[in-house]
Amino acid sequence: MKQTIREDTQIFAPGDARCPDEPSTQDIIARDKVAAPAWVRSESYSFLGDEDISIDRYIDAAFAKQEFDKLWTRTWQFACREEHIPEIGDYYVYDIGRHSFIVTRVAEHDIRAYYNACLHRGTKLRASGSDGCASEFKCSFHGWSWNLDGTLREAVCDWDFPHVKAEAFSLPEARVELLGGFVFINMDPAAPSLPDYLGPEFMAHITQWKLEDRYVYCHVYKTIPANWKLNMEAFMEAYHVINTHPQVAVSNADANSQYDIYGEHVDRFISSLGVLSPHLRGQYTEQDILDRFTIGDASMLGGADRTLANGETARQRMADIMREMFEKATNTDLSQVSDAELLDCFSYTLFPNTFLFPGISLPMVYRFRPHKDDHRKSIYEVMFLRPLPVDGSRPEPAEPVYLRDDQSFTEADGMDPGFGAILDQDTENLLLQQEGLEASAKGGITLGNYQEIRIRHFERAVDKYLVE
Amino acid sequence: MSSNFTRFCKLEAVPPGSNKALKVNDTWVLVCHTKERLFAVSGICSHQAKPLFSGRVRNCKITCPVHGARFDLATGEALDLPATRPIPVYELRLVDDWIEVCV
Repeated sequence: MKQTIREDTQIFAPGDARCPDEPSTQDIIARDKVAAPAWVRSESYSFLGDEDISIDRYIDAAFAKQEFDKLWTRTWQFACREEHIPEIGDYYVYDIGRHSFIVTRVAEHDIRAYYNACLHRGTKLRASGSDGCASEFKCSFHGWSWNLDGTLREAVCDWDFPHVKAEAFSLPEARVELLGGFVFINMDPAAPSLPDYLGPEFMAHITQWKLEDRYVYCHVYKTIPANWKLNMEAFMEAYHVINTHPQVAVSNADANSQYDIYGEHVDRFISSLGVLSPHLRGQYTEQDILDRFTIGDASMLGGADRTLANGETARQRMADIMREMFEKATNTDLSQVSDAELLDCFSYTLFPNTFLFPGISLPMVYRFRPHKDDHRKSIYEVMFLRPLPVDGSRPEPAEPVYLRDDQSFTEADGMDPGFGAILDQDTENLLLQQEGLEASAKGGITLGNYQEIRIRHFERAVDKYLVE
Repeated sequence: MSSNFTRFCKLEAVPPGSNKALKVNDTWVLVCHTKERLFAVSGICSHQAKPLFSGRVRNCKITCPVHGARFDLATGEALDLPATRPIPVYELRLVDDWIEVCV
């Protein structure tokens, strides 16, 4: 791993080269005691070209406006979790740019998303960022109101509005589909269904994760001083780990992580944990790897015995510890969960702006949105989803923590300090990258064929929506 | 200062997860029993003086059922538009299974 250019590079077709002389992610997982399911033990990489990606998409306000006009209005977006609106009348306001939606449960199995504006003179019916429970949506200005099902309930002084016909004054709706406990919305009546949009391969994955049986136990917001796509792309590869997160590289198989793409809107990486980075080959023992293991939700590991027996691997011990401790701490049954699912970082992007991490130790959801008035800023949300307790209870979703720009992720209630430090490192680079792209004499960014395929795949989807 | 406290209702009349509103000295007081503790706040929203009685309580915050303003039950702070002003909060204590509030 020391040499920067290998003499045998030319023997590979573009995109075919992999981290030399190291086990693949699939090799690592195949050695595990509790075997991984098929969705883990599969690969789906394709070479998508090696030309530079133009930088105007990150630095040009006109590009951001096109995104608002053509991309955000036509894509499926995660608006809230079903658990945010468990009762009839519960609602959650989801905003994207100038658009705002009241996502509400109209009946037990009927969730709708109303454009959040009074049809009289336009006042938002519910404030952005709010949630609650309503028996009607009543405008705070003149008191016009709508029933939960969106039909007009009252136009105050209706004698003065003979031209207002109730049948034409129901609240306009965006489309809604539910998947894995997530409520997705789409403004485009002509868009494909959510399963068609995400594709059959990914649908076969997510339906096995039972994410509907988890709950949000930590939810953090922070505004990041970079374009939303730069912000997302900081999380799409493990290539940066050795440089940006040296404290975790000892127990993270970064350069031999696996990258996959599924259709136009979904991609993923699998980054194995509990194994040494190929960059550090020969420098650490298995005991060192175990000692330095850092995970996303370490709070429940307590004082587990971390001394390895002869011949025992750090990865296997960590899987065993996690299974036992996570079961105790969260009162859940993990006996059927594979070692890989317990340990590894499974990072999926659902275009345009959601990351799902279906693992147990790294159980995050990320959501990214552009700032509505500034293409150089984005809103980054981190949620942690824990399995529901075996007693059948469903804890309320965590109240969001809104960090100031100068605050560390480690300051958020519920955030593991080690993981918060990683997020700080990820986002510390972003202002410099935003400013560097604006200062660059080079017209594009250059990507690795394999390790950065998710970025190329993601930007191809952006282009698709802007061109069409 | 105990003379300022007024009996509100029996504790059993406000089980966890419920609210109860009563007039105390001509003031609508709302007692909310959350998973965490008991709170006593004004029963009237600071925005358009609508009753908060049936507002949803979650994470120690109450949402006005009429226009969606949200308030911190511990401090009364207004957290969401359309409210901008806080609601009063009142001291509360338990005496012999009775909830007493200081209004």
